[in-house]
Amino acid sequence: MQTPRFIRTLTGKRLDWSLAAVAFVLAMLPASALMPWTGDLARLLSVPLAPVTHLGMLLREQVRPPQAAFDPRAPETAQMEREIAQYRMLYEQSRLEVERLERSLASMRAVSARVDAPETRLIEASVIASDPSRRNGVLALNAGERHGVRAGAAALVDGDVFAGVIAPDVGNFSSSLIPANKLPSIGTRLIPPEGSDPRKLASSYPGAVLKPTGRGTWTAEVATSLELAPGMVARLADDRYGRAALGSRIGVVVSVEPVEQAPLARRVEIRPIVDLDSLSSVVLAVPAEVPR
Amino acid sequence: MRWSVYIVAVLLAAALDASFGSVLAVGELRGQFLPAVVVFALLSAPRKIGVRLAMLAGLVADLLTPVVLDTQETLIVPGPRVLGFALGALAVIQLRSLLYRQNPLAGAAATFAFSLLSAVAFVFLFSMRSLFLDGGAPWWPGSGAGEVWRRLLGAVGDGIVALPTLWLLGKTRPLWAFATATRVAPGLARQGG
Repeated sequence: MQTPRFIRTLTGKRLDWSLAAVAFVLAMLPASALMPWTGDLARLLSVPLAPVTHLGMLLREQVRPPQAAFDPRAPETAQMEREIAQYRMLYEQSRLEVERLERSLASMRAVSARVDAPETRLIEASVIASDPSRRNGVLALNAGERHGVRAGAAALVDGDVFAGVIAPDVGNFSSSLIPANKLPSIGTRLIPPEGSDPRKLASSYPGAVLKPTGRGTWTAEVATSLELAPGMVARLADDRYGRAALGSRIGVVVSVEPVEQAPLARRVEIRPIVDLDSLSSVVLAVPAEVPR
Repeated sequence: MRWSVYIVAVLLAAALDASFGSVLAVGELRGQFLPAVVVFALLSAPRKIGVRLAMLAGLVADLLTPVVLDTQETLIVPGPRVLGFALGALAVIQLRSLLYRQNPLAGAAATFAFSLLSAVAFVFLFSMRSLFLDGGAPWWPGSGAGEVWRRLLGAVGDGIVALPTLWLLGKTRPLWAFATATRVAPGLARQGG
């Protein structure tokens, strides 16, 4: 059988131009045409690369260990601080949860008993790859559907720091983590660094909807008469990212400025707590049903 | 040239960039191994396959870097780096007769030019996509201008990383089986006189 003529003529520069034309068409295809097959192709490619990326991650940890490894204090002190942070998160989580339930009660008028939070499964996943061309890009994790990972699951670091959410295209053995600074908006509450006052309502602390700035920080306009000061902690108060992550820390207020157009509002800038470039693993909180 | 060696080198470089790469970052100045591998092959492989070599590496780079869309979904777009690398390859192929290949600085300069041109095509194509299609640009929430500046710094980083990488790759030259045409000039020594 003879090769078709158009294939025989596809050599040299003609072949290069044809490949370039195909690449241009692919680059200009809408997401709906690419999504069904490019993700699978990428996962297929990542299989032979996995041993090398694991080796690279090990080397990275040796050359530039995660910041926690440099903690000069006694291990007991560091452990105690971690536990305090963990319990503080649980406390804030329960307060925000109470506030959410109170809102639900008011709207439904007929809920007599507290609805139990759905079971949350915690899965530890290692970071196997990151975007080499930018800071805090999408991360590839070595846990997928077979491990119980579901789209929309929140990723936590150091027990109580919100790092991002799992992207919808979860593979069998791998998944992608959309970092928090790539999320279009995050609802938070600004709480003093020492924690909230139990005598005050959770709703009395200012809420802020964080928008990414492009410099790796977030900004939010907060309309409140309460005092805003650098050092305040932004804690997640957004049901979209799962109830398990409610109350987790996201960032710290680094500056507070007045807004000329709105005298009652102030603009805060928030610096993320976690640097995704130094992450080697995350804990995924997968609820039985992830809110979308 | 052995394609198998090239493919293994490209995969290794892409995997190292995705895992170990962040160690080489100083602020926004981020160097990568992949451009150096492509430039190493471009400087010695036959000109007629140069663009295809670069396109293959671009495809690997595209497949390993998803973009986050407005809908909070990730998308792999095969194409922008393929075309970017092809453009960079065209420049390096034109430049290579002017370069003294044994000089490591020449290789670093070629890598800088390669990365810069591929960045131009990459930013242009993703700008087109974000204007006319789904709106997902890899630099969001940053701006396109910021991305150009970041890519310029990235090209400098690639040039710096190319210095040791090209030296190391030079040591593996016999494995690549590049065809070499040595011109023998007639003379007394050659004639045994």
